Amino acid sequence: SVQAHNEDKAQKLMEMNGLKPVPDSYDYDLIVIGGGSGGLAAAKEAAKYEKKVMVLDFVTPTPQGSSWGLGGTCVNVGCIPKKLMHQAALLGQALQDSRKFGWQFTEEVKHNWMTMTESVQNYIGSLNWGYRVALRDNKVTYENAYGEFVGPHTIKATNKRGVEKLYTAERFLIATGERPRYLGIPGDKEYCISSDDLFSLPYCPGKTLVVGASYVALECAGFLAGLGLDVTVMVRSILLRGFDQDMANKIGEYMKEHGVNFIREFVPIKVEQIEEGTPGRLKVTAKSTTGNQIIEGEYNTVLLAIGRDPCTRKIGLDKVGVHINEKTGKIPVNDEEQTNVPYIYAVGDILQDKLELTPVAIQAGRLLIRRLYAGATTKCDYVNVPTTVFTPLEYGACGYSEETAAEKFGEENIEVYHSHFWPLEWTVPSRDNNKCYAKIICNIQDNERVIGFHVLGPNAGEVTQGFAAAIKCGVTKEQLDSTVGIHPVCAEV
Amino acid sequence: MGWEETQVRGYEEFVRTAQRYHGRPIFALFCGDKDAQGKSWCPDCVTAEPVVRKELHNLPDESVFIYCLVGDRPYWKDPNNEFRKNLKLTAVPTLLKYGTPQKLVEEECFKSELVRMLFTED
Repeated sequence: SVQAHNEDKAQKLMEMNGLKPVPDSYDYDLIVIGGGSGGLAAAKEAAKYEKKVMVLDFVTPTPQGSSWGLGGTCVNVGCIPKKLMHQAALLGQALQDSRKFGWQFTEEVKHNWMTMTESVQNYIGSLNWGYRVALRDNKVTYENAYGEFVGPHTIKATNKRGVEKLYTAERFLIATGERPRYLGIPGDKEYCISSDDLFSLPYCPGKTLVVGASYVALECAGFLAGLGLDVTVMVRSILLRGFDQDMANKIGEYMKEHGVNFIREFVPIKVEQIEEGTPGRLKVTAKSTTGNQIIEGEYNTVLLAIGRDPCTRKIGLDKVGVHINEKTGKIPVNDEEQTNVPYIYAVGDILQDKLELTPVAIQAGRLLIRRLYAGATTKCDYVNVPTTVFTPLEYGACGYSEETAAEKFGEENIEVYHSHFWPLEWTVPSRDNNKCYAKIICNIQDNERVIGFHVLGPNAGEVTQGFAAAIKCGVTKEQLDSTVGIHPVCAEV
Repeated sequence: MGWEETQVRGYEEFVRTAQRYHGRPIFALFCGDKDAQGKSWCPDCVTAEPVVRKELHNLPDESVFIYCLVGDRPYWKDPNNEFRKNLKLTAVPTLLKYGTPQKLVEEECFKSELVRMLFTED
């Protein structure tokens, strides 16, 4: 059988006294481990140069049993369903606003979780299928199997039925991404869910406790509250660590004023089940981080969003000598995405000290392949990458936060220009008139070049994208001032 | 029990037939009507049909292959026809696995690799 033959071959290879004999010809030019944003972009690009490529993608089910198809986190349990559910929540708000604009409807407006989830999952299904068609069409071999290194240039792929196959390749690209971290307290895996489960939850989560203050936590808390659910966020210390704290606090304030409860400076120590069900009832016991106070609360659902860990510890990296940061699991690479092992590369969320964003992974993956197979030299530019947090009041940013700019350039060398604004669309329905906010941080010593852009308001992502291009071109305050605004839009501020 | 084929014409007959086979995997190929000589007004359908038929032997056991003529050209061009509105079809030929987002449209149907993937993989 093929399996026995391959095992024999690998056995012979590894028997040779720790030497690293490599096969004369490999099964593939490139094997990509991980079919997410970075992995798929790289695979498709490599196929363009007529390389023989294989993609291995496998989703280990969550403790609750959730799983999904080809496409990675972004498509299945990240950006895509998140933005759709955020949109669902915004539409709820719009329906309320619409009455002031003259729309009349007598029925009370309610939200149906199953209808929304089915539509979202259906769309995701079409994306999963689309990726499989694209790979097949480009002659990229795809296997739904768990890949791990077993020796030099050799990988073992195990499918969901436990069937193992060995493959060899000249080069490898690790793009395995991350998965949500659990708290390590009693009841966490048995009763809590994570973002991996939320977007396909087959029942409405009901009264929810979100643990964490990451953008995942705040975005999820935000749309759940927007859909009419009773939401509480339990925060250990600060909101949105790593982001401009001035903006983070404004986001928190807005969410608080719009019905999200916050429990600050507490961490859960125990989760118990009071009653089974879909959803059931859970009791959460939490301890203060500043004293000995203990509190208890009852919720239908507990959503953990306390961080994500790279999937690098169980893929046999030790067998091929790839260094990882033992503490974080992240993989250090040079500026050409190469690990310490010359024929093994890595892209995406698993990289040490790089941004965890889909477009970054895609860009890095594509450029890497072009350098490897098309003689290109362009490296991925990780500087001035724009981002957006899709909390109820959206936050778009590009460049330095105020604190980091002050630290790097000196507080006396930066100038911050800021403004509150009131979107025209919010005036008629009498929505908050002092919450939207924008600021730019300029480097005085460099012609007041804009080194940081931050905006809090509707469509923040759309607004930020253009400014990111401007910042990349080195726009200065004067140039911004001399650009005539579009009226009436938020971006003119 | 292997697979079986059934031929239908028009939206209502398609829906009735799909309902009849509820519970079994259903694959459907939608094409434009054929004239008296057996030729469709849709040139891509003419190209796709033999490719699809050549792969039918790969259909899983128990499945049903519904060959559906959608109607004449004016009917198809109408943006409100039932196939577009209810089944969300955007073009003919379309080959799909009923009840899933898995489908192949137009030139995708010319590629036997893709047809085989639709028929045989999950």
